[in-house]
Amino acid sequence: MKNKLTLIFSVVILLLLVALIAGDLFLKKPNLQKNIYEYDLKELRKVDPTLITYRESLNFAINSESVYGVAVDTADQIYVSGNDKLWIFDSQGKLQSSMKVRGDAHALCVSESGNILLGVGNRIDVRRPDGSLNNSFQIKGVRAYISSLAEKNGRVYIADAGQKIVHQYTIEGEKINLIGAKNLEKGIRGFVIPSPYFDLLLGRQGELWVVNPGRHAFEAYNNDGDLISTWERTSMQLDGFGGCCNPSHIAMLSDGSFVTSEKGLERIKIHLPSGDFKSVVAAPNQFDEGTKGLDLAVDSQDRIIVLDPSRKMVRVFELKE
Amino acid sequence: MSEILKYISRTWNIKKLVAILSMFILFLTSGFPLFAQQQRFPKPEFESGYTQPVTSMPEARSDFFAIFDVLVLIVALSLISWLILKKRSRRGVLAVSVFSILYFGFFREGCICSVGSLQNVTLALFQPEYSIPISALAFFVIPLVYTLFFGRTFCAGVCPLGAIQDVLLLRPVTMKRWLQKVLGLIPYIYLGLSVLYAATATDFIICRYDPFVGIYRFDATFFMFAIGAIFLLLSIYVARPYCRFFCPYGVLLNWMSRFSKHHLTITPNKCIQCRLCEDSCPLGAINKPVPVKVMEDRQSATKRFISLSLIIPLLMVLGGWTLSNFHENLAKVNPKVRLANELMSFKPDVMLPSVEIEAFKSAGTPLTELYSQAAIIIEQFYIGAWILGAFLGLVFGLTLSSLSVFKYREDYTPDKGECVSCARCLKYCPVEK
Repeated sequence: MKNKLTLIFSVVILLLLVALIAGDLFLKKPNLQKNIYEYDLKELRKVDPTLITYRESLNFAINSESVYGVAVDTADQIYVSGNDKLWIFDSQGKLQSSMKVRGDAHALCVSESGNILLGVGNRIDVRRPDGSLNNSFQIKGVRAYISSLAEKNGRVYIADAGQKIVHQYTIEGEKINLIGAKNLEKGIRGFVIPSPYFDLLLGRQGELWVVNPGRHAFEAYNNDGDLISTWERTSMQLDGFGGCCNPSHIAMLSDGSFVTSEKGLERIKIHLPSGDFKSVVAAPNQFDEGTKGLDLAVDSQDRIIVLDPSRKMVRVFELKE
Repeated sequence: MSEILKYISRTWNIKKLVAILSMFILFLTSGFPLFAQQQRFPKPEFESGYTQPVTSMPEARSDFFAIFDVLVLIVALSLISWLILKKRSRRGVLAVSVFSILYFGFFREGCICSVGSLQNVTLALFQPEYSIPISALAFFVIPLVYTLFFGRTFCAGVCPLGAIQDVLLLRPVTMKRWLQKVLGLIPYIYLGLSVLYAATATDFIICRYDPFVGIYRFDATFFMFAIGAIFLLLSIYVARPYCRFFCPYGVLLNWMSRFSKHHLTITPNKCIQCRLCEDSCPLGAINKPVPVKVMEDRQSATKRFISLSLIIPLLMVLGGWTLSNFHENLAKVNPKVRLANELMSFKPDVMLPSVEIEAFKSAGTPLTELYSQAAIIIEQFYIGAWILGAFLGLVFGLTLSSLSVFKYREDYTPDKGECVSCARCLKYCPVEK
């Protein structure tokens, strides 16, 4: 009986050996041509908790069917645009006022002077700090779609995702310049914008930082539209940006670091001024899957204000102690 | 191994013999390689931090030592044939086995071996640009010639692959004949594939899957080591699992041995039908006498012969047709065909090139040239697959016929094809010369 078992076992092992050798010889070898853009979202959604340096300290819901943009003024008041409406909250989320606006403002900014700029389709409404309409002007072009705004010293920078360009206007509505048009002699490669997310901001020295999402790049321009700096990070890991076009939104901390939000893989991170990854503000598991358009703002305390369009909430993140 | 230890503890002569053999091996390992290495260029010294990879193949032998190896092979074969056929000594077989393990195994690192030389010969026959080393040819031919005269004395103790399994056999289990026949088909498949891949200059698969060479060289990959370890483990219970159920060279020796004139006999004189040797062979290679009453009548035997004569060609055609349908799968083992396939599915905008693709691109060879070469190789595989399939159909048919045909025998005789002349059965025979 023992011999029989030994024999059966031996034969099975022999057949396994045959299978092992045949498998090694004939079966397809592991594909060495690794697809560098291939990503397993399940794996990439996992973030090492030690890299998350922020915690969610406050959140409050917005009573609106949709929310589009968020901005912060110098007094740390939080502005949120939604369906035909604009809400103003204090830094703790208490509603201060609200007003009806002319259309859905997908772009919103509050300048140092207190002016509130709203981008609705191809139109810019400039409102005074009290909310009254000061001025309104349109961007030419049937494909114009304003996705982000910034204003300083009477100059308005308008990110036009539809025409893939940045317009420079006076606050009165006079056109000054076009920024970012392809000009290889000047080292400008042109914006690649496959989806309607195209953000910009003004840096600490007044330079204009524009996201080139299709290239996973950040580009800095001076007032004359000359390219003065650029960095890009393509990676599905935390150290860069992946997918067709990311980051979708940006903001800047007081030390010049960039806060970035992404779609596809919903996450918010901080990159140093050099572009290198610094830390995670919020991991993908803190958002609903499929969330797009996580607009960002930073207040004077370096709190990161995130507009979550899926949950229709403003979510405030603070550095962990 | 236990048998060896037993003999060593009992007999002073064997102890002395092993000591002398060990001294001889020590002498060879200490002095000869230094001499051989002087004939090679020194390795280049890189300043970039590049480190030389460890080679898995032993260094080429100089002509003198290659011929020396052939001489050692001839001496070993002559000695073991004499020990088996004239002295009828199992101890002698064991002593030569130990020598072979030490010399052809550990010292010569299992290369070149007769089993693998089959591929060199095939390659030389099908690829005229390949010049076969004389030692490889000698290692292929000499054991076959000896087998033709004296039976598989090479397997008995000169082949380092067989020897290492033989000395480990501690608790042999016997196998049913039908199971042996079924598993015994594997070497034919292995032989066919190794010839096909060698003929098309694809790969030497016998060497790639040699289970013991990694152990002999102390540098086995995990895969090789795992195969070797499993075979060695099996060798404790199943006699010579690699020789019987894998070795492609064993197929050729089996054929040759069937015609051997001076094959080992169990009894040195007339068999007295004592049946003592009946279960002595761990390989099941002893043919038992067939009583007259079991014999078929002439008419049914003729009928069977005719039906088999019809079935075997059908099996050959079926085998050839079946394998020819898989010729592209067989061809995928070829590096050029594999590279062509890789390049066809390669998308440079989203994929990183493999090392092979980068090397190909840097060589500057036009893509069309590679594709046309791959197409020629695939065509060769189509023909090769037909031949291989037909060969396997023939083997299958002949195996079936051998199972169903009864041969009349009066005495206990070794199965000339299967018997590896290990001489285990000799001590069971009470008949003296």
